[in-house]
Order: sequence, then C-alpha cells, then structure tokens
Amino acid sequence: MVLQDLGRRINAAVNDLTRSATLDEKAFDGMVKEICNALVEADVNVKLVMNLRTSIKRAVNFKELAPGVNKKRIIQKAVFDHLVSLVNPHNSPYTPKKNKANIIMFVGLQGSGKTTTCTKLARYYQARGFKSCLVCADTFRAGAFDQLKQNATKAKIPYYGSLTQTDPVVVAREGVEKFRKERFEIIIVDTSGRHQQEESLFAEMVEIQQAVKPDQTIMVLDASIGQAAEAQSLAFKSTADFGAIVITKTDGAAAGGGAISAVAATKTPIVFIGTGEHLLDLERFQPESFVSKLLGMGDMQGLVEH
Amino acid sequence: LTGLFRNVVGGKTLTKADLQQPLQLMQTHLLEKNVAREAAERLCQSVETDLLDHKTAGFTSIETTIRESMSKALTRILTPTSSLDLLRNVTSTTSGANARPYVISIVGVNGVGKSTNLSKIAYFLLQNQFRVLVVAGDTFRSGAVEQLRVHVKNLSALSQRENVGKVELFEKGYGKDAATVARDAVTFATNSGHGQGMLYDVVLIDTAGRRHNDSRLMSSLTKFGQLANPDKIFMVGEALVGTDSVAQARNFAKEFVDTKGKLRNNGVGMDGFIISKCDTVGDMVGTLVSMVHATGIPVVFLGVGQHYGDLRGLNVGWAVERLMR
Ligand SMILES: Nc1nc2c(ncn2[C@@H]2O[C@H](COP(=O)(O)OP(=O)(O)OP(=O)(O)O)[C@@H](O)[C@H]2O)c(=O)[nH]1
Ligand SMILES: Nc1nc2c(ncn2[C@@H]2O[C@H](COP(=O)(O)OP(=O)(O)OP(=O)(O)O)[C@@H](O)[C@H]2O)c(=O)[nH]1
Ligand SMILES: [Mg+2]
Ligand SMILES: [Mg+2]
Repeated sequence: MVLQDLGRRINAAVNDLTRSATLDEKAFDGMVKEICNALVEADVNVKLVMNLRTSIKRAVNFKELAPGVNKKRIIQKAVFDHLVSLVNPHNSPYTPKKNKANIIMFVGLQGSGKTTTCTKLARYYQARGFKSCLVCADTFRAGAFDQLKQNATKAKIPYYGSLTQTDPVVVAREGVEKFRKERFEIIIVDTSGRHQQEESLFAEMVEIQQAVKPDQTIMVLDASIGQAAEAQSLAFKSTADFGAIVITKTDGAAAGGGAISAVAATKTPIVFIGTGEHLLDLERFQPESFVSKLLGMGDMQGLVEH
Repeated sequence: LTGLFRNVVGGKTLTKADLQQPLQLMQTHLLEKNVAREAAERLCQSVETDLLDHKTAGFTSIETTIRESMSKALTRILTPTSSLDLLRNVTSTTSGANARPYVISIVGVNGVGKSTNLSKIAYFLLQNQFRVLVVAGDTFRSGAVEQLRVHVKNLSALSQRENVGKVELFEKGYGKDAATVARDAVTFATNSGHGQGMLYDVVLIDTAGRRHNDSRLMSSLTKFGQLANPDKIFMVGEALVGTDSVAQARNFAKEFVDTKGKLRNNGVGMDGFIISKCDTVGDMVGTLVSMVHATGIPVVFLGVGQHYGDLRGLNVGWAVERLMR
C-alpha cells in the first residue's frame, strides 16, 4: 500500500498550514479539505471522510483556540487520533491455542486472495510449532482444489478436499472431522468467493460455518477495493460475524482506504496483511506502526502517549 | 441527490457562484458511485463549462439542469467512437484468401476475473459456431492451468450438446515463458504448411495476473504483445476496485508498444476493457468511468456473474442511469 504517499500528503497539508504566516480559519479549512481529498483518493468511504472532516473540525475548534497554544500540535494530534480510531477497533482477535483444534474459516469476495492466504497462514502457524492443515471447501470455482493442493504441497501442509463431492458443507465437515481426529491444532477452511447480492451464496456460507463451528472466521479483503467495501463488509459481518480481517495485495499500488473503511465499519481488527503472491509474503499487522507509516512521520508516534 | 436546489426554477442565467455548491454535491455523488476523484472532478468541470452563462429552461431547477448536463457528459465519455463488432471482425479475419486465426489476449491485475471472463468469451464464440483454442498463458499461479482445463471441459460438453463450435486447451504446464507459449499456440492454430487449413478460428490467450507497479512483470507484457501479436488485447478491470483502477488502466496500456516503440491501437495501447464483477457493486459502477476516462479505451464487455452466460455488451444508457441514480 502506498500509505506513505497518503501520509506525505496529509503531513504536507498540516505542515503547510502551520508554517503559513496567517494561520487563520480559512487556511485551517483548506487543510482539512486537502486531507479529505487525500483520503477520498485513497478510497476511504466518502461518508466516513465527511464525518471525519466534521469531527476534526470539532476537535480542533479553531475559533476557540487560545492565542498561546501550539496550534500545529493540536491539529496534528486531532488528525492522528481520528485516523488511529479508523484502524483501531478496540477489539482483540482470537489467538490460537496449542494442544487443541483451532478452526479458522476464510470468507470474502471473489478473487480477494483467500486461497493464497490460507496456505500462507497455515505455514505461518506451522513455523510456530502448530500442527497445521488445510480444508478446501470451495467446490464451485474451477480448479480451486488444484490451486490449494499445489500451494499446500509446496508448503508441505496436509490438505483435504474432494474432486467429486459438490456440496461444500459436506467437504468442510468431513475435512474438519478428519483433521480433528488426527489432532491437528490449526485447521484452516477455504471457501469460495461470494457477495451480498447473491443470497444463496451467503446462505451457503452460514451452512459451512454451522458445520465446522470455527473458532475464528476471517474476512479477506483486497487492498484495492473502493467504495463498495463498506456495504460488502457489513453484509459479511452481519451474516458470518467474522472476527478478523486480512488485507491482501498490499504490495500493489492501492492506498488501501477501502479496506480501512471496512475495518472502521465492522469494528474488526486487521490481523495480517498479504504482501505478495508467494508463500512467505504475509506479515502480522500492527495498527500503530500502520498509522505512523500512513502519516509518514516518526514524530507522530510521540503523540500517542498524550 | 437531494433536492436542495429544487426551488430555483426556470429562466436563470447561471453564474459560477450558482453552480459551485450543486456541482460540489454532484462530485460527491460521483465519488460515492466509485468514480475516481480525478474523473469526477474533470466531469464536473466540463459540466461547469457547459452551463456557465446558460439560461435554465422554464420550470427547470439548477439541479435538474446539472443532472442533464452530467448525464450527457457521462454518455459522451462512455460511448465508444467506433463500435467493436467482434463477431464480424472474427469472421472477416478467418475467411477469404488470407484467412488466419483471430487472436485475443486477456490481461489484468491479480484476481480480477481474467480466466473466468475469458471462458465467457469462449462460450460466446462457441455459440456463434467458431472453433476456439484456449491458451493457458498463466504459467505461474497455482491451479491456473487446471482452472482453464475445467472450463474447457465444461464448454466442450456444452458445445457438443448444443452442436456448436469446438474448443480445446493449449497448455505447456507451469514455469514456461508465457510469450513463447502464446506464440506456439497461434502457430499451432494456424497450422500452415500442414494442409487442411487452420485448425481454430479464435485463439484466446489467458495471462497471469500482475500488479501494475511490478516493473519486471509489466515489461514482460511488451514482449508478450509482440510475440503473440494479438488482434485484440482486452484488459479486465474489476468493478470493486477503487482509485487504483486509473493507474491499472494507464500502466497496462503503456506496455503494449510495437517493435518500433509505437503504442498499439492508434496510440492507446489496448483494445478494450472488460469490467468484471458488476453484479457485486449495485449502483457503484464508477470503475468503468474511471478507466475509460484515464485512457480513452472503450469498455467492450461487462462481467455480471460467475457463469458462462454472465457477459454483456456495454449499454451506455444503463450505466449512466445507475451512476445518476
Ligand atoms: N500481489 C499479490 N497478489 C496476491 C496476494 N494475495 C493473493 N494474490 C493473488 O491474487 C489472485 C487471487 O487469489 P486467490 O487466492 O485465488 O483468491 P480467492 O479469494 O481464493 O479467489 P476465489 O476463490 O475465486 O474467490 C491470485 O493471482 C493470487 O496470486 C498478495 O498479497 N499480493
Ligand atoms: N460475481 C462475479 N464474480 C466473478 C466475475 N468474474 C469473475 N468472477 C470471480 O472472480 C474470481 C476470480 O476469477 P478468475 O477468473 O480466477 O480471476 P483471474 O483474474 O484469472 O485471477 P488470477 O489469474 O489469479 O490473477 C472467481 O471466483 C470468479 O468466479 C463476475 O463478473 N462476477
Ligand atoms: Mg479461492
Ligand atoms: Mg487467471
């Protein structure tokens, strides 16, 4: 994600303002506008940006600022706080435990990167001493099982799937049962892509979920998603109640604001980000370092304590 | 759009000041439809130019006047300057003295729907009695070859049942150079020097998804374009994608230069966009505006679902109506 670009623009807007000779309300409004433009261009939900604009203005309350105060610091802090609150859902994700079966189910829109990320995550836990495996419950997409199989084989992760069974609920149940018996600790269930407009696909997601009873459901979101992010993620949230988000394709050029809007709308934490097509291209996600990267400035970090 | 300005009625000569706020609302409206800011801003500017000093018609509010002007601007931008009749093009290329297979390749970033929409195009061509060779030019992503094999198997069964066309898969497994595979496929379909004439009417080449900021993978498209020398290069853009669609369109288009360094298709690089996953965005079909605005390349197909029949031509009126809703 070119968060740095966005950060640079926001930073420049704040600096331009605080450096200008006349730090009046008009200049302040101009800065807020410039920040909002940058956010919209980064695909942050348009309504969210408008709310952000109002609340930054309210937080700074330019008219009432006492003459002596450090305006730059107050403005920076308001901007920073509001951005942090976007990605910080104040909700902690599920952490897998050793010596038990942790079932993780993946859901998301078509082509968002679920299958690729499943194997990455299985390998991640495998490398940390969990006995990990994969279940392919996508019986719809052509070649889905081959894709998972080839990835799993490369990563040396056991997998389960079927070339003949067409009901994903059955495959999911059988796969999870089998691996549970074999005392696997991380059992990841891949599902096909779906979207809110097609009810039967959402109903199927619920059925799979009921069959495997996941400890954690993860929604996978493409970093390039635009204004549809909020509606889709809210629909997935209310139907599958996912507890974590993975943002993929962050190695692309998209700024990721759509995915961030999904986080804000669903109050769900991002747990990992995908950084490439290869098995090891997965990173744990830290909201604080994300925002400081977003703002493109180290000195922002210091403001968090205040 | 709310009726904030509905009360201003008829016979008013519009000034910049009159237009400013309603145009701002119009821009926000477009942004909410997932039109990239750069395109939304430019469209609003053109509406302003169109309406400055213009006298509103009797009983017509500024809002309605702006809506009409914006609908016109959108229609203008989305309407292709020359219409693409794919079937006619294929027929004329594959018949006559210089008959040869018609070559189409599909490009785009990761996961947007290239392979699926390629299969839909294959289905469309089969329905029109053509013989289609599907080429597994994605030699990288796990399962990419098998994915196409399944599609070809399904399509083959369909075409036999309906007794139309024929379809086969050309594949060289994984790890091979895609440009070479593509060229070999075209040679195979042409079948020159072996008698019996060409074996296939259309060669449909799939390619691996690549992000447009990966210069190594992007520059390999240039060689691909030159070796496979397709009649049409279609880029799949995804309706779900936001602002990145602009850079995607521009960066893919600029790779397709001929050996003399000239951009294909009269300097625009590619021949058309397929906007996929339109069924997943409701009214937010702004991606198609963003991509056309960025490049001047027309939209040729819309993907509206995951099944073979879910491919449509662009109906400009439909798109404009959704955007203005
Ligand atoms: N550059 C990049 N590409 C990725 C990343 N994650 C996935 N991809 C690519 O995105 C495309 C789609 O990934 P899949 O894993 O097949 O997506 P999916 O969600 O399983 O797709 P469906 O099952 O069809 O819904 C593939 O080409 C992947 O290689 C990433 O982090 N970076
Ligand atoms: N809802 C919907 N889904 C689509 C559409 N087109 C493609 N898809 C789905 O999007 C996912 C990805 O499609 P693919 O055709 O594999 O995409 P791709 O661009 O070839 O992906 P890579 O080769 O991995 O880069 C699949 O689940 C498709 O079924 C569409 O028009 N509507
Ligand atoms: Mg998948
Ligand atoms: Mg593909």
